[in-house]
Amino acid sequence: MRQLTCFLSVAIFCMFSTSAFAKSVEERLNALENTLKSQAKTIEEQQKVIDSLKEEIAKQKSQEPLQKSPEPQQASQEPAQPIEEPQQKAQEESSLSAKVSGFFGGSVLSNPNISLVLDTYYNASTLKNNDLQNRGISGYTTQGLDQRNGFNLREAEFFIFAPVDPYFNLYANIPITTNGISIEEAYAVTTSLPEGFQVKGGRFKSNFSRLDAQHPHAWDFFDIALPYRAFLGNEGLGGENGVQLTWLPSLPVYTLLGAEVLQGENDLLFGQDARSGPHAFTFFAKSSFETSDNSTFYFGPSVLFGTTKNTNIAPGSEVDASSALYGMEAVWKWKPSRDEGLTLQSEYLLLDQNGSITSLGTLNPNSLQRRQDGFYLQGIYQLGRWRFGARYDMLALFADTFKQAGVQQQPSGSTPWRATGAIEFNPSEFTRIRLQYNHDASSRFGSNNDQAILQFLFGIGAHAAHNF
Amino acid sequence: MRKLVLSLIMSLALASPAFAGLNVVATLPWIGSLAKEIGKDKISVTTLVKPSQDPHMVEAKPSMILAGRKADILMYDGLDLEIGYLPLILESSRNPKIVPGKPGNFDCSRFVNVIEKHTAVDRSMGDVHPLGNPHYHFSPSNILRVAEGMTNALADLDRGNADYYRANFKSFAAKWKERQNQWQHINLRGKKFVAYHHFFEYLAAEYGFRITEYVEPKPGIPPSAAHIERLIEDMKASKPSGILVTPSIGLKEAESLGAKTGVKVIVLPQDVGSMKGTDDLFSFMDKVISSLR
Repeated sequence: MRQLTCFLSVAIFCMFSTSAFAKSVEERLNALENTLKSQAKTIEEQQKVIDSLKEEIAKQKSQEPLQKSPEPQQASQEPAQPIEEPQQKAQEESSLSAKVSGFFGGSVLSNPNISLVLDTYYNASTLKNNDLQNRGISGYTTQGLDQRNGFNLREAEFFIFAPVDPYFNLYANIPITTNGISIEEAYAVTTSLPEGFQVKGGRFKSNFSRLDAQHPHAWDFFDIALPYRAFLGNEGLGGENGVQLTWLPSLPVYTLLGAEVLQGENDLLFGQDARSGPHAFTFFAKSSFETSDNSTFYFGPSVLFGTTKNTNIAPGSEVDASSALYGMEAVWKWKPSRDEGLTLQSEYLLLDQNGSITSLGTLNPNSLQRRQDGFYLQGIYQLGRWRFGARYDMLALFADTFKQAGVQQQPSGSTPWRATGAIEFNPSEFTRIRLQYNHDASSRFGSNNDQAILQFLFGIGAHAAHNF
Repeated sequence: MRKLVLSLIMSLALASPAFAGLNVVATLPWIGSLAKEIGKDKISVTTLVKPSQDPHMVEAKPSMILAGRKADILMYDGLDLEIGYLPLILESSRNPKIVPGKPGNFDCSRFVNVIEKHTAVDRSMGDVHPLGNPHYHFSPSNILRVAEGMTNALADLDRGNADYYRANFKSFAAKWKERQNQWQHINLRGKKFVAYHHFFEYLAAEYGFRITEYVEPKPGIPPSAAHIERLIEDMKASKPSGILVTPSIGLKEAESLGAKTGVKVIVLPQDVGSMKGTDDLFSFMDKVISSLR
């Protein structure tokens, strides 16, 4: 009510002042001063009411640590309305706490942020279900494609995250499939270490190379690039238990350096029981600079090495070896406006593996020597809510050595390759509809896989932002 | 070899500019511009979002993370406007000075009378900000409140120059209030406008006009043909004074709507620097007000 009076008096004053030019400046200034004084009084009185109410609240919940919430800065000489109305006191505390932790989208004191991503697709392949299940890449992996013709549910993935305290943030990523629940990631990451250091611990996706760190729903295509499938499996390295240390020095150019110690559970490159204790290690560097006002280049080498012991590399055999996988990633993004963008991305992987291979029938070990590589190149062009993608992947680019007892295996057979095209429609940030076509000639022998996939991705809840 | 790399890193680290003042990182151009008014030559300002960029659709780039790494204070709009990139920058920049709760984490919206708070929101309503409308920089009185909060924050971080910041604020506030009086002369009371996005609600509240309809059927959702048709019908009946739009969000749609209805399209800068002659907050607001005239 008082405010209304003040407001009216100002309005009336303004009307008078504009119409009556004859009034001297001094008079007008005096009037203005008076108005301001009366307003200041009003504000002061209301501030007192607010203060007393705040005291009451503080008394009621004195153990509540969030009372350091910022006071609205009320300058007494300012014609400002009090920021909180007294009758809103119940709401006040909730809105204040929301502001303190509002970084992740509202108050997260009682509940962490939760989101669910549904990843579902229709698959039409020229191969029968049985052939898809058994479709390995000869000389690389015996693991088939976990896809059936017709309707498929890849996963419903839960993401949960929140700050633990001023020192840690916690993230968990729990995919649910028709086979059950698994924990892809569950890790804590430091937020307060000095000098640009950060430690991550728990179960997490490694930052070795590029696609490994991304969740399947964030991939630019339905499936992972061929070199990843050949050396690491259908989902890449996947979640690994371990610890990561990264350092972002304060340099003129973005340079991130990191190292990881991992348990080594990946059942294609390592193997759960290859050693008792951690047996996978990474080193990586990522660097980036702007190539123009609208474009950014991002690149980095990485290496993943450790002990291998599993039966998924060659049919009916166990490989026992030490392995090193070298990677190089490069990304160029051009984003001139919100409605247009282009991303070019390429990675190269090279595997060095030395040890023994044992046929499970004869239990007779032979020496094994592998030096194999692969790469992919992809481009995504965005126009409004549409995205168009093309990808080419290939194995045995420069290296194709698979020597068993000193003898090169599979001397014949074509070079494994695959070509992919995709069209996406994203009605909003939270829905993605993708139609993808694969011509997959990666099996060296047998027929190709010509495959069309219609994929639907939906996300609800508070989802953490994706990396560059 | 290792020594070489190490010495290279060390020399790079030492070669980085030895600027003694505060390193301010601002998300939006108007925030950077306001910080410059208060801090002048005692601070260096890095702005993450370009004036022409849609502030709702920003992607965290490594250069932004690097800026965050070097920041003494991070200033942002708040109200979840930066939710798509700022949490990532905060965590990835590995800078304990700017995390929430520290004096180097400055949320401008704390000093603002927020409007359009929603209690019951879901995403079927489009990209609604539940904490309230985040585009409060169109309100001169809010700018003044943020400026004062900013002054205190800078003075708190850099005690030695506290008086300098306070003096700068004083002269800024005096100049700003004088300009506010001029802007107040514009008579928009009771006028009706159509807007593309929920950008101008604070402007409407401060200058007493109404935004009756939106070209976007829901925030962040582009209009369908049916929605445009309905809008044309409505606009023929209600005869609004103009269609409010910004240069980089929805200009094409607004122009085609203007051509079909004969209602004039009013292009307003969305932020400091997004149109010619809007290089600081004064000229930005001048442009906004003179365009509405």
